[in-house]
Amino acid sequence: MAKALFINITIMDSQFLIIFISGIFAALSASFLGAFIVVKRMALVGDVLSHVALPGIGLALLFGINPIFGAAVFLVAAAFGTWLIEKRTMLPPDAIIGAFFTATLALGVLLVPNHELFESMFGNLFAVDYYDAVIIIVASIIIFLLTLILSRRLTLSIAAPDLAKSIGAKPDMAYLCFLLLFALSIAMGIKLIGSVLMGALTILPATSARNIAWSLKSFLSFSVVLGILMTSIGLVIANIFNFPPGPAVILSGIVFFFVSLFFKKS
Amino acid sequence: MPNLEIPILETQKLSVSFDNQEILKDVSFSVNEGDVLAIIGPNGAGKTVFFRALLGLIPFDGGIKWREDARIGYVPQKLFEKAELPLTVKEFFVLKSKNLFFKDNQLLETITHELKAVGLKPEILGQRLANLSRGQFQKILIAWAILKHPNVLLFDEPTAGVDVAGEENIYNLLHKLQDERGMTVLIISHDLNIVYRYADKVLCLNKENLCFGEPKKALTSEQIEKLYGESAFHQHHDHG
Repeated sequence: MAKALFINITIMDSQFLIIFISGIFAALSASFLGAFIVVKRMALVGDVLSHVALPGIGLALLFGINPIFGAAVFLVAAAFGTWLIEKRTMLPPDAIIGAFFTATLALGVLLVPNHELFESMFGNLFAVDYYDAVIIIVASIIIFLLTLILSRRLTLSIAAPDLAKSIGAKPDMAYLCFLLLFALSIAMGIKLIGSVLMGALTILPATSARNIAWSLKSFLSFSVVLGILMTSIGLVIANIFNFPPGPAVILSGIVFFFVSLFFKKS
Repeated sequence: MPNLEIPILETQKLSVSFDNQEILKDVSFSVNEGDVLAIIGPNGAGKTVFFRALLGLIPFDGGIKWREDARIGYVPQKLFEKAELPLTVKEFFVLKSKNLFFKDNQLLETITHELKAVGLKPEILGQRLANLSRGQFQKILIAWAILKHPNVLLFDEPTAGVDVAGEENIYNLLHKLQDERGMTVLIISHDLNIVYRYADKVLCLNKENLCFGEPKKALTSEQIEKLYGESAFHQHHDHG
């Protein structure tokens, strides 16, 4: 099996290589931001946020625009809406978001043309062309670097917003920047993984990493490493067996999660 | 030398309400540099809300005037969601760095110094925040607050979870900080003995400012009774 994989990888065509690399970069930024989503106890929000991309993809297809941009616009708007609802209402965002985001999924199903629906929801390896790959790689690097720069402020704002404010930081702004970066990172993976499962790519590596981490640094590092691993393995499997990439990536991620349970730190 | 001409903090008719419910009403008082001010009052009297208003964390009406040179350190009652984050003690300190990403050597050097000041050994730096005892955690929060040398400390005393020996320890520590560094300390306290022993001034809060002044003068038995209700007053005396 390993040998077969190896042969397959060595002879894979350049198109798959481009797809594979863009997948790795999308996973890099998504799993890094997902780590903060998980510790903020917003895993459900992170998971369901990706559904909002679907009507964006539908409208983009309708107007002949690149679906990545359609998804990005809808996701950023939803992230901003989440921030505003939480700020204004003081309500736990879960209920509103659970209902609202799922409704966008329903709307998306009606908007996306039938023959594009399945791949919009579960991903399509070969929907990513050279031009997409460049966008995904460059944007993911920028998103990752910005998050890295913000990570101390983000962590403090999440762990102790009052302490953050007491030293003159603006936890509100840090949180907004974070949500926007998170939304963009989801948009980068949406073509490859699909709008239904992309959210899971952000939180699966972090939940596994949380089991084995002993510090913030190890947590963030494991999250990124696991995100890249599950994406690479999932993409290779999808390519070999002609599976849709979304399910292949998420299922390989859940294997890592079960393995992480055996190393769980108290 | 402390500047006693202008109070380091002054409030005028400070009021806070949430959803049309008044939590604090017309609280006016002032604190001089180097003073220990104890804030007392029953549960739900708005003491923590009062601190949060002083820190500018929540909207308020009326005036809060910090002197220009006031640098505030804040010790909250608890940290939220600390168990969710696998933070080590060292990482928790580093979060205070002004450097967003790069290593802050200046900060790292002072951490050990502040740990010593609160009576903790540097070995604790490698420990997980979630694994500390309540008392250790309290000290870490104090060390965090005094890192970078603020001149005012707002200390929200935990209601439970610190044993008596630990409590004693923390008060001695606060007293030491006030003595050695001339810090102004505002402390929310639940223990009247502490107030009599350590505080220069006391502020009784129960939505309104019920008394303010030197503890021995301001805290008459009528005042305490008015503040806590009769039964609570007897309870306090039994403990004392």
